Parts: sequence; structure tokens; C-alpha cells
Amino acid sequence: MTAPMHDTTTDVDEPAPVAAEATAESKAKKVEGRSLKQIAWNRLKQDKVALAGGIVVVLLVVVSVFAPVLVSLFGHPPNEGNLDQLEDLTNLPKGALGGISGDHLFGVEPNTGRDVFSRIVYGARISMLVAVLAAAVAVVLGTLFGIIAGYFGGWVDAIISRVMDVLLSFPQLLFIIALVSVLPDDLLGLSGSGVRIATLVLVIGLFGWPYIGRIVRGQTLSLREREYVEAARSLGGGSRHILFRELLPNLVAPITVYTTLMIPTNILTEAALSFLGAGVRPPTASWGGMLRDALSVYEHDPMFMVFPGLAIFLTVLAFNLFGDGLRDALDPKGTR
Amino acid sequence: MLAYLIRRLGAVIVMVLVVLLTTFVIFYMLPKWAGQDLAVLFAGKNSGAEQLEGIRQKLGLSDPLLVQFAEFVKGIPFGRDFGSGNNVTHCPSPCLGYSFRTEAPVWETIKDALPVTAAMAVGAAVLWLLGGVAVGVVSALKRGSIWDRSAMVVALSGVSMPIFFTGMIAMGIFVHSLGWLHIDDSLSSNDSIGTWVETLILPWIVLAFLQAAMYARLTRATMLEVLGEDYIRTARAKGVTEPVVIRRHALRSTMTPILTVFGLDLGILMGGAILTETTFNLPGLGREAVQAIDGKDLPMILGVTLCMSLAIAFANLIVDLMYAVIDPRVRLG
Amino acid sequence: MPTSTKRRFTAGAALVVAALMTTTACGGGGGEEESGEGAGYNAGIGKIANKSNKKGGTLKFIAKQPIDSADPQRAYYGMTWDFMRYYTRTLVTYDTKPGEASNNLVPDLAEAKAEISDDGKTYTYKLREGLTWEDGSKLTSKDIKYGIERIWATEVITGGPAYLKQVLDPKGEYEGPYKDKSKDKLGLKAIETPDDRTIIFKLPKPNSDFENMLAMPSGSPVKQEKDSKAKYANEPFSSGPYKFESYRPGKSLTLVRNKAWKKSSDPIRPALPDKVTVTFSANKEENDKKLIAGEYDIDMNGTGMTQSGRITAMQDHQGNVDNMQTDFIRYVALVTKTKPLDNVDCRKAVFYGTDFAALQKTRGGKLAAGDIATNVLPKAIPGADDYDPYGVLERKGKPDAAKAKESLKKCGKPNGFSTKITARTDNPGEKEAATQLQQDLGKVGIKLEVDTILGSESSSITGSPAVTKKRGYGLVMSGWGPDFPSGQGFAQPLFDSRFIAENGNYNEAQIEDKKIDKYFDDAIGAKSPEDAAKIYTDLNHRVMDLAVWMPFLQEKNITWRGSRVTNVYSSAAYSGRYDYIMLGVK
Repeated sequence: MTAPMHDTTTDVDEPAPVAAEATAESKAKKVEGRSLKQIAWNRLKQDKVALAGGIVVVLLVVVSVFAPVLVSLFGHPPNEGNLDQLEDLTNLPKGALGGISGDHLFGVEPNTGRDVFSRIVYGARISMLVAVLAAAVAVVLGTLFGIIAGYFGGWVDAIISRVMDVLLSFPQLLFIIALVSVLPDDLLGLSGSGVRIATLVLVIGLFGWPYIGRIVRGQTLSLREREYVEAARSLGGGSRHILFRELLPNLVAPITVYTTLMIPTNILTEAALSFLGAGVRPPTASWGGMLRDALSVYEHDPMFMVFPGLAIFLTVLAFNLFGDGLRDALDPKGTR
Repeated sequence: MLAYLIRRLGAVIVMVLVVLLTTFVIFYMLPKWAGQDLAVLFAGKNSGAEQLEGIRQKLGLSDPLLVQFAEFVKGIPFGRDFGSGNNVTHCPSPCLGYSFRTEAPVWETIKDALPVTAAMAVGAAVLWLLGGVAVGVVSALKRGSIWDRSAMVVALSGVSMPIFFTGMIAMGIFVHSLGWLHIDDSLSSNDSIGTWVETLILPWIVLAFLQAAMYARLTRATMLEVLGEDYIRTARAKGVTEPVVIRRHALRSTMTPILTVFGLDLGILMGGAILTETTFNLPGLGREAVQAIDGKDLPMILGVTLCMSLAIAFANLIVDLMYAVIDPRVRLG
Repeated sequence: MPTSTKRRFTAGAALVVAALMTTTACGGGGGEEESGEGAGYNAGIGKIANKSNKKGGTLKFIAKQPIDSADPQRAYYGMTWDFMRYYTRTLVTYDTKPGEASNNLVPDLAEAKAEISDDGKTYTYKLREGLTWEDGSKLTSKDIKYGIERIWATEVITGGPAYLKQVLDPKGEYEGPYKDKSKDKLGLKAIETPDDRTIIFKLPKPNSDFENMLAMPSGSPVKQEKDSKAKYANEPFSSGPYKFESYRPGKSLTLVRNKAWKKSSDPIRPALPDKVTVTFSANKEENDKKLIAGEYDIDMNGTGMTQSGRITAMQDHQGNVDNMQTDFIRYVALVTKTKPLDNVDCRKAVFYGTDFAALQKTRGGKLAAGDIATNVLPKAIPGADDYDPYGVLERKGKPDAAKAKESLKKCGKPNGFSTKITARTDNPGEKEAATQLQQDLGKVGIKLEVDTILGSESSSITGSPAVTKKRGYGLVMSGWGPDFPSGQGFAQPLFDSRFIAENGNYNEAQIEDKKIDKYFDDAIGAKSPEDAAKIYTDLNHRVMDLAVWMPFLQEKNITWRGSRVTNVYSSAAYSGRYDYIMLGVK
């Protein structure tokens, strides 16, 4: 499920003076590059919801990085089977609400008795890792091809644009599952769950770059006719110099915004793949995989579905809020 | 206009061929490069060399890739013959081959599954477009009201919820807990419209929920922009009544960006269909696709991919044609 | 309105919505409608539930997994074989009695069991009188020969068991009926049909299980002019009491009475219902609900209810439940070619370190997963006993850490070792069991990495010694059931070194033991089943002593028995499934 980043926050009802201010700012940024960051940061600071989203994002990163520490403090090893926590006949968690207790903060899994809290924490790792790395792949590819297409135009542009169109009109999810399921298990000399993570990153990134590519291409198209590019060209700057020294710095803002907005999409995609059984291989914990397991028993043990579901929801929401805020701060008129 | 249509149809065909060839390479060549023998996957409990050779022959795996691909493509308009010698089965057009697993003609399976996915996707698309636009318009006109705010709330929740989680919650509440609805997981053309609606109502809502709210936000933003334009002011000044202004002028311009985005979202709709079908266990293309991929059932995968890419390509074509209807400035050609 | 206020509202409300949904979802589990009284818990185990000979009505099966093929020569699933008795008959078949008594063969098309020559190489059958096909034509010994010959046509007739071919024509001299140059297409020399009612099988080597092989549906007759080759799987021609009315592969199947079938020619099949329907539907949980609601009578797969279904069934409808003993063994193969598992003591350390009770619990507990297995043969197979060389049952399935450490020392790995275990993702509970084993073995120092694979691909992964070696798999977790109830039918592909294949190999442990191979030869050539059973007992012990294949569960399952169904019992010959041909409806 690769959702394009809709520009839906174009707030037209902003008071007119602000808009004027924005134009003033964008003029200012040509004079001095630094001030943009400061202004953006000031704006972002005002936006409490975006900040809250940002804080949640930071928290998630911390949780992912320090997962082993957190789990040793508050949980159990993620693959440890606490079979004594399960009912005899049904194999459902003992006690109410999926076996929530001081010892098992989010309860335990049916059948295996594994600690849900620990698996959620370790699941965050996988989600973040895959989403961020896949976004990185998409950004690198998208920027590279977008900038080349936009700058050189002509047949180069035609080919790249066509490839992007084709990729965008593929039944993407179907293709991603298909690719993941046939890519050899010993890809790139990695082994175990590492292979799957690498596969996921590559495949999700591969299908994500056209979104960035289009935006970068569009921006480059409008930028390359600007005076300073002309100036650089007349001073004898090579294409490479112009592309990466002159154009790229001016593309940083939109790229940052769309990267932030791409991560939640990737999180959803990773979860969807795990849910369909094409994600990270069990027993490695992943949120989508937990939901897949929950699908067969959620009628009897709804809490097992609620935690991973909420984890995905809150993470994606936080990234979306932060991304929206960032866009408003960096790019008040939106791009589309 | 006609020239445009022909050109676009040509593009659709090329596009679909590219998708098919890619699928073919993925499923035939990748396993081969990885040193896997497809025949082994279908040999079951006995897989002597002789049995494997038999399977390879039967599945047509011994021919070169391009021959297999050409055969496959040829089969769609003309039908094709399977087997050789005195042992030939004719597969009539549109021939998509036979499933490796069940040996049923792929086209038959698709014919059964297609209406379910189509009904679900179209219903959800209508719901998300109409719902989204309606809410967006109301939000724009009643800016700042409770309507407006709630719409925004739902918008971000909608895109942030994994569709399978929403689906599980909806099913947990309306099917399992309250028992208001019954999902018929063997939905077929023999069932009554009532059964179809009862089964599909939750999938529609769940699938529409994913995006409708985003459309509401988009509609609202565009609408506000449009309402500020000169020609609206002119119309108002000429004494055109407000509802007419909204319907004739404002809404029309608003639809253009909505349609653009919608064209891009068709892929999501298909992806959403796969997930929704898995969650609600509906007998549609998505479920067939997931099963086929798990079982490495190449002809089924190809068939479903073909269907989905065709659907996306044609829907895009329709979207493009609708531009012309909605926005008189657009000239096709 | 400033943006931030709006979004704050958004975020807050989103949380509330989520919380609300959570609480509602927790309501969970509505009451199911009652559908009449069941005959009692385990009423179909070892005895007949709802005994009746009332005819008429429609018997309704539901199944998640579709039948593999309706062509008798191409089916390999036990459930399909059970079902095929509705429309195919064989020379001999399994007795229609509850429990292990069903493993005895009784004559079906034949008047009596085979007359076997003294050297054990010639089997002669005389057919019953009045045998007919569904068009009323006479069923002859030539039809049986032709049906069996189809097994040779491996380019079309794929998927079914090849035992008869291997036993009758081990060198593969016959090319199969489709390439047969002779006019009547009956060129196979090993089978003779001197007249329409006599059929003689000539084996190059004696095989004590030969009649068992004839009882598999691959020994069914096929009428030559009705043989539509690959398409026969969609339109099999009936020799039994029912015939196909409609069949949509993977969707549904309807059988109606075959008017040409004569009860007088068939003492085995009561043929009670007027109609038998099967609905294939992929959602197991949903299928269980429909069974409980009385919309369907029996799960044709017979592999037990889902966790969700059995919770409801055991809590509210115990009278409709049977706890069946299957002939399935859950096991871990110890790959003897992977270091350090080439050492017997390292392998024994795995046996001692395994928490059998935990594996049993993870897979669903005593009722849903079955009893702990201590040796390789399923209980119903001659040669099984209570051999327990590692004292598993004494410890109630718990591990023996001291002995595990001791074995590790003997093996020269006092600090343990690392290896990989495979488990199939699509087998419910297997990846969980493998993860549990990882935890338990970790406690004695054996570190496992769990590698999950797709069941459909296992034949080319764990079934390929080359891939197993390349990926360094030491343990392979899987399950296995017999093709027919004998040591040969269960164990030969698993343990005989001559069965190691490049692909689709089931001797996953890659056992190469001369003694084991010899046991198989001796047992197969044995004069009587009793003699064979003794040899299989020795073989069983040998495999356990070598510690190459660790069985951990003799699988049981919890099965739904619809209240309307009559004459229901669990048949050992069909892995504990109900004997479908006997069922009727109230």
C-alpha cells in the first residue's frame, strides 16, 4: 500500500499577511540560505501538534535503538515462551485483557505465551529499520533520476518519466509480495532475517522512488531556468557541478518533507507485507506479523490484535503529523 | 478524439505487456537463477526424475522463456493447445492457461473472482469520491464548524490506520460482537444483491475510510481556493444563486485536481483490495493472488496481474476522459 | 483558524476514537445458535455414534483445502482417498470398522483377498459378479488393469503414489497406456487378465504390503473409452454408489446416486444419503463457525478445528466433539551431514535438551496436539511399541539438562554448539514450536537459529540435500503420515538411504545406515505381516538409538461431528478421519 503524499494541508484560509510574509521569506532565503532553517524551526516550534508528533517519532527511535535495554527492564526476551501464562484447554492467556499484568505489561500471546510488550518493542525496530532504509533508497534513486530527468530533459527525461509512470501504474502491492516471495534467500550473501530485511528495503524503495522522482523532476525543471543556474553555466560549471552544487541544495527542503511523509507509508507497506506473510520471517517480531497471527484468534483474544494495531496506527499518525507540520514550516504553499 | 483513444489504447497494451513480461521474468527466471526447479514444487510426495520430467513437460517449463511468453500472449486472443501428440487439450480464448495447482482454467477462476473485486473496488471508490467530495464541500462552506473539524480528525486517522486493522475492528464489532452483518465468504454471481451488499458493506466502508477523508481535505482546500477566484465573484455579482455557483462553477474546477489524485490512487485501491479481501476473506482477485503467490502458481499470478494492470490502465483512461467532460479547457489529442 | 489548534484537535480526537474502538472490540465472542444435540464427547472414537441405516438426505462437507485431484490415479491426500470410496472401488479396501480394526483389508471388487503363491510373487483375484460402471456397462478385470497402467503415464498422470509402478515394473520398461503400441493398450506384462473376472499380478520380488498398495485409489479401475487423460480429474467415471453431478475445482463438488451401482455387488458401502456435497472455502475459522451453526456436517480435511473453533466447541458443544488419534507424527529430523550433528552424542544432547511438554503445549495441548511420541512409528502401525530410550515420559516430557550437558561433553562440545532449524510458516503452530525449541535448547547451550520456509517450497529446500548443506541446516521440523499402515508405508522414504533424492527428498536426516536398509529389505520380503512387524520394531529402535529423527508428538485433533450425521466413527485407516462412505444423515 504505497500511498502518494497528497498535498492536502494547503491551508488557503491562512490570513493574507502570512502569505505575504512567506513570499518575503522565500525572497530572503535567496539572500541567505541559513535563515530558512531558522524560520522553519521557529514555525515548527509554534506548531504544537507537529511537535508532539515529532516527540513520538524521537521516542520511537529511542525505543528501537534501546529495545534490548527496555525489554530487559520491563519485559521478557521476545521469543521466550511463558507457557505457564496460558489456559490449559484453550491456550489463551490467563486472566483478563490478554493476560495483562505487572510482569507482562501488554499481556502474552496465545499459544506461545510470548511477552507482547517485548514483541511490540522489537517490532518497532523492524518497522523503523525497514521504513527508514527503504525511504533512503527511494530518496537516493528518486533524487538522482529526478534531477537528471529535470535537468537534461529531452529523451533522458522521456525515458525516466515513462519508467516512473509504469512503476506508478503497477499493481504495486501485488508486485512487492511477488518479488519478495521469489527473491532468493541467500541474496547479497546475507543470511537469516537479514535477507528478508534487505529484500524488503530494496523492493519497497524500488517502488517508492517515483514519488520523490516526480517532485524532484518538477522542481528541477523550474529551477534550471533560474538566474543562478544560468550564471553557473556561463561561468563554465560542468553539469555535475550544477546538478549537485547548485540544484541539489535547493531541493533539500522538499526532499526532506517528502521523506518524512514517505516513512509512514513505508511502515504501512511493511506491516501489510508481514500481514500477508511476505514480510520479515517469523519468529522475528513484526507488527504486521502479530496482526496476522491475531487474525485467527482475535474473536477470543482481542487484546492481541489491539496492541500491534495501535502501535502501527500511532507511529504512522505521529509521522504524518510531524511531516505535515514540517511541510507547512518549510514550504507553506505546498508543491502540488 | 478517436486518434487520441487509439493512441491511449495502444499505450495501455504496451504497458500491460511490460507488466506481464516483468511478471514472467520474476517468476520464471528468478527461481532459475537461484537454482530452484519449479517442477519440484508441484511434484508432491513422489518426485523421481521421471515424474519431474513429466511435470516439466506438462507445465511447459522446458521451453525457453520467450517461447513460453509468446505462447501465453498468443493464447489470450486466439486460444492455444496444451500438450503434444495425441494428448492435446484445447484452451479456448481468452486463454490464460491452467492453474499449476488446481489445473482449473485460470480464466474460469478469474471470471468468478473478478466481480467480487470489481464490486468492492468500484463501490469503495464511489463511496470515497462521493463521501470525500461531499464532506469536503460542506467543510469548505462551513469552515471552522464542528463538521469541518471532525472531517479533519477522521482524515488523518484514516490514512494512518492499517486497513487490515480497521477491517478486523469493523468485523469484530459488526459481525462477531453485534452480529448485525454476515460476511458470505463464498460470494458468487448466484447470490442475491442483498447478500452482496451485506457482505460488501463493511469492506466498502473500510476501504473508503482509508482515503475518503483525504479527499475531503483536498476538496475543501481546492474549493476554498476556487471560491476566491475572480470568475466566481463575477458569477455572484451577476446574480447567480449560491447553489448554482457551487454546482456549476466551483465544484467543476474542484474536480480536476481530485481526479488527478484519484488516477494516482488506483494502485492503492488495488493494494487495498488485496488486503481487504484477505482480512474479510472475500473470494476476489486479491485472495486468489495471495494464494497463488504462496503456491507459486504462475499462470494464476499472471492472470491476476494481467487483470489488475488492465483495470488500473483502463481506469486511468477513464479518468483522463473525464477531465474533458469536467474541464472544458482540456483538449484531448 | 490557526493550523496548530486544528491539528491538536485532530490528534486528540484520533486517540479517543482509537480508545473507543479498542473497548468495543474487547466485547468479543457472541453466542452461537444451537443446532441440536451432539451424540456426546468422543462418541465417534472406538465406537459408532448415531448408529442408523436410514437412507436419504444430503450430507454436507466443508473443507479449507481442496482435494488434490479427483482422478483416482493422481490423488495423494488421505482425505481424498477417504472420499474417493464414494465413486471408486478397488480390489481390496479398508474395513469399515471403528478405530484400528479399520486397518484390515477386506475384498471390494474382488470376491476374496488375493490368493498368493508360495514364493509371494503372484497375486490372483477373482472379481465379484454384477460389477458395473455408471453407464451400466460391465466392469471387468481389464478396466482394473487399464486403471493401474495409467500410473505409468507420468507425463500426464502426475501427483499420485507410484508404489504399484515401482513394485510391478521396477526397471520402468513399460511406457504407459498413452504410448502403448498394442491395440488394447494393455501392454503391461506384470498384470494378466485371462478372463473378465480374473486378474493376476506378477511381482519380480515379493512385497508383504502389496495388497495395501492395491487398496490405494491408484489401484482403481478406469474405463478406457472414458479416460480423458488430464481432464479425467474433472469427470471421473464412477464404479461406486455415487457419481459426479457437478465439480468446480477448488469451489464445490456434488455427488448424486449412481443408479447403475448394485448393492448386491458391494457389501461394504451402505450408501445412505441421496446426495453428497462438498464446499471448498479457504477460511478455516469461518468454516468452523458454519459447522458449529449446523450449516455443514463434517470438515472433509479432517485435520481438526482451528483454535478459535475448538474453544467455542469445547466450551459449548462438547457433545459434538471427537478427540481423534491421527497417524501423523510431528518430528525434528537431525541432519547427519551437518556438523556437529554427525556425532551421535551431539544428537542425543538435542533429545535430552528438548522440552517435549512445552512443544506439546505450544501446538495446542494434549487434546489438540496429541500425546508425546517416544519412538518413530505411529501407534496404529505394526512395529510401534513404548520404546523410550531417552526417558522422556518418565520426566513427563521435561528436559534433562544434566544428561544433555553430559552428552555435549562426550561429543566434544562441552559449551554447546550452534545450528539452524527450519520450520514451515504455513503450518499452524510449527514456527511457534520451533521457536519454543530454540528457547529450550538454548538453556543447555545449543543455540538455534530459526529459519522459516514456505511449505510449498519445502520439497526444494529441506528436500534438497544440496540446499540443506549450503544453508547449513542442522534440524528440520516437519510432520509425516503413512501412505498405508505398515513400516514400509510410513518409514521407508524417511530412513532408507536409497531414498535420498536430489530433490523432494524425505530422508531429511540423510541417514545412511546399512542396518536400517537391510531391515527394510527383510521386512518387505517377510512371509507374514507379523514377521514384518517384528523387524519394524527393531528398525524403530535402531532409528531411536541413532538419535537421527526425533518424533515429539503423535498428533491428535479436535474434530466436529455434526448433530445430523449418523454412523460416525473415526477410522485409523484414514488417519483418524471419519469413514466418509459410512455416513448418513438424520
